[in-house]
Amino acid sequence: MESTRITPRRALAFACLAVIIVASVEYRLLRILFIDRTALRAAFARSADTGWYPDYPNFLRGVAAHTASGDSIAIVVPPSKWDDGYAYAYYRASYFLAGREVLPLVTPKDAVVMDNFRRARYAAFWHVKPPANARVVWQGNGGLLVTR
Amino acid sequence: MTPTLLALAALLAYGIPATLMLDPRARGTKLAGLAFLYGSGIVFFAMLVLSIFDVPWTLPLIATIAFLLAATFRALRAKSPLPPGEGGQRPGEGPRKFAILIHAVTALTLISYAFYATLAPLWEWDFWAIWGLKARVFFEHRGLDWRFLSSEWNTFAHTDYPQLVTFNYDFIALVGGGWNDRWLGLLNVAFAIALLFVVWSVARREASPLVAALATLACAATAGSRYVGLAEGALIAFGGAGVLMVRAAIVDDDEAAMRHGALLLGFAASCKNEGVALLVAVAIALTFVARRWLLRLWPSVIVIAPWMLLRAFHHLPTDLVEGNVVARFLTHLRDLGAIVLDLSLTLVDPLLWIALVAGVLILPHVERRRERFVLLVVAIQLAFYIASYLVTPHDVHWHISTSWTRLTRHLVVPLTVVVVLALANWLVGGEDAAHAEARSEL
Repeated sequence: MESTRITPRRALAFACLAVIIVASVEYRLLRILFIDRTALRAAFARSADTGWYPDYPNFLRGVAAHTASGDSIAIVVPPSKWDDGYAYAYYRASYFLAGREVLPLVTPKDAVVMDNFRRARYAAFWHVKPPANARVVWQGNGGLLVTR
Repeated sequence: MTPTLLALAALLAYGIPATLMLDPRARGTKLAGLAFLYGSGIVFFAMLVLSIFDVPWTLPLIATIAFLLAATFRALRAKSPLPPGEGGQRPGEGPRKFAILIHAVTALTLISYAFYATLAPLWEWDFWAIWGLKARVFFEHRGLDWRFLSSEWNTFAHTDYPQLVTFNYDFIALVGGGWNDRWLGLLNVAFAIALLFVVWSVARREASPLVAALATLACAATAGSRYVGLAEGALIAFGGAGVLMVRAAIVDDDEAAMRHGALLLGFAASCKNEGVALLVAVAIALTFVARRWLLRLWPSVIVIAPWMLLRAFHHLPTDLVEGNVVARFLTHLRDLGAIVLDLSLTLVDPLLWIALVAGVLILPHVERRRERFVLLVVAIQLAFYIASYLVTPHDVHWHISTSWTRLTRHLVVPLTVVVVLALANWLVGGEDAAHAEARSEL
């Protein structure tokens, strides 16, 4: 059996072990115990919606409250390009309106899908003016839920 | 918070009989860690069975099927005598005070993680656009909603991904009587604790309390996945525990460990497509390293088969294999230098990875050979991840920047455990100290 005397290889092994342990500890995470978490909590609460917070999520909650499971809803928001904000608005609506059929009016390739608008029972307009002949079902938080 | 904690306690409770039926010698942290993981997996499978037969989810039905599934675990147990278990000989006690100190740091890490994971309603884009979205849709439907999964407008939600994590969220919602994403982060915390319990039990069989505590601490930050609400935490837990159990089977010739490994890897494959890749990586590694265990992976195939068949039957698309894969591969191959540079620059915790690789290289050949199974699994899985970038239909640099830090963390736990144990045991035991029981204390 080889003795346990210090050799360069053993010293390197010890150094590796020490680095693995030290590098594994998440010091930034440990800090959370010692700080006032109020501001952090508020930042995380709005991080999903950033500039759209709190109106858009609250609007979607209102739409959910005024529609039923199985209803189809088209989403109309100011961004008309997928990567300029439409994707967020559509995905976020899909989450809050789970159980309904949420339909986009823009594709990932920025094509407009008017068929979805015609097919939907409702349209959720947020910071966009609906057509004059639309019947308003509910309004609030900067938006209107309309139907034909 | 109380309904979420109740649901997590229920997962643990379902898993205890299942673990004991599979492995009657499991005790302490090993029992607790495995029980939570099996509880999570069994509840997923029970909900999947109900969905397949189009029976709406209810708690009594899920509980009944989960109990029946737990009972089937006994059938997996071999009739052969059990090998030495938790009560068997272990490396000596050593300096316990230091070990307790290390445990305190691990506990602080977990407490910090619990605060982080529950700061607010789950905020990650991939939670509310993928995992949480599907879970919420299924909860409203009380089962898999094929209209949602089959819609061309919902492919962004990775409709082909397996459903263990989404169904776990649904189970919590059923216990709570409604969807509430405020405390769902506790599921991530529970997965982290379960994995660390398994890591500790595996490490303690082979090393002193201090070394085992160090190995557990080294895994704590990774076990607590910072991607709260995604499937990463569950995949890291099931995958890490599964690989370590298969390793234990090989090293200790332990049939029970292989049963654990196979089931845990099946549940890892039920978390994400990367878990399916991990199962394949384990199968390939076993073929080269310990072929006699290869067919013993069959329970993992049973676990993942129903979802794989369902998604094939419903033609749920997988983005990586859509379109002309060969053309994309050849195109990206020309950009290989830039891709490798990107992977290097965005590698998370580079110091840790350098130390892990250096540690492997420094180890004597006999120690490295002992750990070749885990090393091979890590290498194959990394190769799979790099291959996925070469065939991606997305912009490859965007794909790397949004996933590489997550993917590399999948592999950290088993690699860290084996490198820490091998280095520490070699340092204290000499170059030919291949067996833990012969080792002295650090």
